[in-house]
Amino acid sequence: MTLLFIILYAITLIYFALSERVKKFVVLLSIQGALLFGVVFFSLYKIELFDFIFILIETIMVKSIIIPWFLNKVRKHNNLKRVHEPFVPVFYSIIVVVISLLFSFLISNYLKDNQIHTLYFTVAFASVIFGLYFIIIHKNIFSHLVGYLIIENGIFLFSLTVGNVMPLMVNLAILLDVFMGVLVLGTFVNRVGNTFESIEIDQLSKLKD
Amino acid sequence: MDTIFFIAAIILTFAVFVVPKQFQYFWSLLLQVSIVIISSFWAIQSLFLSSDTLIRAFMPFMGSTLFIEIDKLSAFFILVVNFTVLTGIIYAKGYLRPYFITKNKAEMALHFFSFLWLQISMLLVLMFRDALAFLIAWELMALSSFFLVIFESEKKDTIKIGIQYLIQMHIGLVFIMSAFIWAYVQTGAAFSFDGLNIYFASHNPFGLFFLFFVGFGIKAGFIPLHSWLPHAHPAAPSHVSGVMSGVMIKMGIYGILRVLTYIHHDLFYIGLLILTISLISGVLGVILAIVQHDVKKLLAYHSIENIGIIGIGIGLGVIGLAVNIPAMTVLGFAGAILHILNHSLFKSLLFYTAGSVYQQTHTRNIELLGGLIKKMPKTALFFLLGALAICGLPPFNGFISEFLIYSGIFKSLQPGDLFTDVILLISFTGLAIIGGLAIFCFTKVFSIIFLGSPRSNKTEHATEVENTMITPNFLIGFMIIAVGFFPALFMGPLANVVGLFSNDAASIQQMIPVLNNISISSGIFIALIGVIWILRAWQQKKQTVKHDATWGCAYTGANPALHQYTATSFADNIVQLVNPVVNVKKEFNGFDEKEVFPEERAFKTHSSDTIEDNLIIKPTGKILAWLKEIAVFQTGKIQHYLLYALVFLIGIFLLTLLNWI
Amino acid sequence: MLSLLLILLSALFFPGIIAKVKAKIGGRKMPSVFQPLFDVVRLFKKGAIYSPVTSFIFRIAPVVYFASVLVALLFIPLGGQKGILSFNGDFVFFAYLLAIGKFMLIISAMDTGSGFEGMGANREALYSMLVEPAFFILMGSLALFTGIVSFNNLYSVMHISTNLSYITGVAAIYVLMYIAMVENSRLPVDDPKTHLELTMVHEVMILDNSGFDLALMHIASGLKFAIYGTLISNFIIYTTWSIYVQIISFFLVQSLFAAVVGILESFRARNKMEKNPQWMLMLTAIAVVTFLTTLIITQKIFLN
Repeated sequence: MTLLFIILYAITLIYFALSERVKKFVVLLSIQGALLFGVVFFSLYKIELFDFIFILIETIMVKSIIIPWFLNKVRKHNNLKRVHEPFVPVFYSIIVVVISLLFSFLISNYLKDNQIHTLYFTVAFASVIFGLYFIIIHKNIFSHLVGYLIIENGIFLFSLTVGNVMPLMVNLAILLDVFMGVLVLGTFVNRVGNTFESIEIDQLSKLKD
Repeated sequence: MDTIFFIAAIILTFAVFVVPKQFQYFWSLLLQVSIVIISSFWAIQSLFLSSDTLIRAFMPFMGSTLFIEIDKLSAFFILVVNFTVLTGIIYAKGYLRPYFITKNKAEMALHFFSFLWLQISMLLVLMFRDALAFLIAWELMALSSFFLVIFESEKKDTIKIGIQYLIQMHIGLVFIMSAFIWAYVQTGAAFSFDGLNIYFASHNPFGLFFLFFVGFGIKAGFIPLHSWLPHAHPAAPSHVSGVMSGVMIKMGIYGILRVLTYIHHDLFYIGLLILTISLISGVLGVILAIVQHDVKKLLAYHSIENIGIIGIGIGLGVIGLAVNIPAMTVLGFAGAILHILNHSLFKSLLFYTAGSVYQQTHTRNIELLGGLIKKMPKTALFFLLGALAICGLPPFNGFISEFLIYSGIFKSLQPGDLFTDVILLISFTGLAIIGGLAIFCFTKVFSIIFLGSPRSNKTEHATEVENTMITPNFLIGFMIIAVGFFPALFMGPLANVVGLFSNDAASIQQMIPVLNNISISSGIFIALIGVIWILRAWQQKKQTVKHDATWGCAYTGANPALHQYTATSFADNIVQLVNPVVNVKKEFNGFDEKEVFPEERAFKTHSSDTIEDNLIIKPTGKILAWLKEIAVFQTGKIQHYLLYALVFLIGIFLLTLLNWI
Repeated sequence: MLSLLLILLSALFFPGIIAKVKAKIGGRKMPSVFQPLFDVVRLFKKGAIYSPVTSFIFRIAPVVYFASVLVALLFIPLGGQKGILSFNGDFVFFAYLLAIGKFMLIISAMDTGSGFEGMGANREALYSMLVEPAFFILMGSLALFTGIVSFNNLYSVMHISTNLSYITGVAAIYVLMYIAMVENSRLPVDDPKTHLELTMVHEVMILDNSGFDLALMHIASGLKFAIYGTLISNFIIYTTWSIYVQIISFFLVQSLFAAVVGILESFRARNKMEKNPQWMLMLTAIAVVTFLTTLIITQKIFLN
């Protein structure tokens, strides 16, 4: 069953490469949050109640509901409709996503280490690579925020690969990271959007002066 | 005994210079037919009748006797070469007719002489094992094809292209020669192909194989070694292009296969090298073909693509040997070797029909053609046959060879390990993409040249070509349909050739029921077409069949020819996807907002071969620029040169004094 | 034989069900389920108009296209019955047979010398090229999983396998459904109900066909739908069920598939034309993910 959610997560990465609308990014992020909940639910052997509630909050509440709600607010405030043409055409981005998925699946096969659960390693690695690529090709700060969140999802999966019990501290640290990132960037985007008309990064270099 | 006839025929080719002009063609035809008969006799003996290599003493050479050895691989190639060259010379009669008037006796004699020697040198390449004799025959092949390419030397581009071709062939020769020399120096064995056996047994084969691959690859036309192909094939007259594209580039494949027969270990990386380069050649070749407007340049790029397909088969076969999956080996090699035959057939057919179009319309630019099917129906039909075959569509022969390769791939998915499976995934995806792009390209070419309305007045005077130009098409078409509908007949000799590479060649026999099923399905397909045609004819007899103009959405203003799609527009949506490779630039001054009454505008597109640009044109441009700087020393005055000599003398004197040299 | 009859039967209803579902969702009055059939019969009673620009190609292309679809139909198994023609590697023949049909259709469109048809031909050539790899990769994953390279025993072996084969099955159905929509020129790639020639892909290629030829085209598209529907229903129907249960579930699945197509068409707008290639590449990407899943399931990728 875990495999099913992992595969669906990989498919959401493909849809990230395909889509060009900001609203769809947010929807995909919340779907990813729900899928992560599914992964965790089906793979933990013994769950204490506290841990389980914590994970539930983190994945469903934070990743699927709170953050997308916040992102939607930012989106509406800045009136973002669609991502302007990224540097690399979408056609090539999809090819890059497929190659990175193939690559990470192959790597996780060759990592023959008993300490790592390579099942999660696959999409975790692909997620991090794709998140970085996503930030590189898009010009919009909002898309950078979304890319950052994809990387965070990947790191969450990485934490799953190295343990079968959720260490509380790791999770708290990740949550803190996410909160700071989203709050700071979200506020930043709002302020910038108030002062200038657009939030494209090439326009932002005017801020230097 | 029969060798004497062969040698006699070779010597008699020189007589073509003294024969009067109107008999030159017949003399060459006679010689060619005799050479074909003798060599095919040997080949058939070797391939079908006996099981060992046919060896004949040929001539005294460098002190010892030179032997010709024809084993199954050589025999197969000999038959392919002979068939294509024969169709070429039959086609040439009609094609060269206008040239007999404009060219003088010596030029025509040289042309026929070169054509004969092209065939002879190709046969010698296939028959010699001794390295020096092989290299001499290879060089003769390059020289004779050079003279053939520059036939239309009144066009100033042609000579430049010919020289570029000759240079690249010689670079290939250097690679092959150094590979032979290296093996000889390392092992001290005989300076021949058989000497390679000893080298490969004791050394890592990859390095030497790479040298051979580059040398033979330049001849075959693998990307990035392909840049001579798209220039040389259009420049040459059509019967020569057909022969060059159909069989001469296969000599490179022959070389690679011959070297492969001696390697028996450490095959994985060699296979991976061949497969990667072939996949790239296949895909890039067909993408570059899509943007061409010159029909022969387009066909040349398709040759690159098909060499890629053959290479995919060979690469998969070699990898199969390395990972020990018999299905992959046997079917990969079988598909590749059958594709060698198939490609020579349909490519020569396409070049001959394109040549007929050129002869009638005097242009190779497809943007100026259109509607030729009404004026040249037989030519159009044969072009369509070639197009359907080259896209690998059933029920013709291209499908059979691709089917063999696909079967090899799909059968090996389960036995293979992870890395093999990923390689197989990339291979069949690549093959599917190549097939789809080929369909895109050939629908474009066929429809723009033959269908719709004429796009310029070049087609006004076109009529159907004479019968001698159509006869070879019939012969080739017959072979295409034979291989397509009765592939099981060809499996026997194919198994014999594959047996040189793999021990399980007999398992090809397992494919025979499958191929028979394909024949039956193809038969049902054709029968159904006939039945539905008859049904329609019966239904339409009872109804009215009118003739009325094409639906133009009630737009009656423009000339109907202008309303049609052009080749550039057809290729446009793929160009948007693959622009980094084809580098299409559009030049167009748009309409200004203030321009109320727009004036005439022109639109130009220009494409270039990115690989050729970055690999050859840019570096040579830089070297030439640097050399121009140095040319400042070449002042043309004798006094300056004397000054240089004086400086040199003083320099040598001083240096000797100081004991530095 | 039985499978052929069942598929032909379902092809009669298929376009009708789609039209009915779309009408119901769109709040319009529903036509009869047999309306497309009546249209075809009406076309068979009509004569034809041929343009003088066209040639022999224009006359033979519809016949070749129809014959190719018909012969492709003979390969499809249903439940436990195998197709009339079946051999190892037959799905390659199947795919290329449909390709020759498309080739003839494209050149017949260019034959009319009309800019509209050229546009449709151009787009159709690109889209069919992009969708080929998805089909092959899908078949490759099935061949990898079952070790069988023919349509014939593929499905029976699939059902015997483990629970994990459900994932492959579901992904395969998803991709096949979209491939079916692309091959039949449906939304989101091409809108069959648009009347603007500049936005058509398949419809504009058959703009100049009339009478018998047009009837052949309509029947062929119905047959193609039935072919893909059967391929999908084979994933769901178990060969171990009794023959009557199989037949009933076959018709149920076909109707459900038609209804889903209708629903998808009603709620989805057509992609912007330049976004179509990347949308179709997405199908290939999902097919590659399916292939990777199969590699995991067959333990070639070793994950712990």
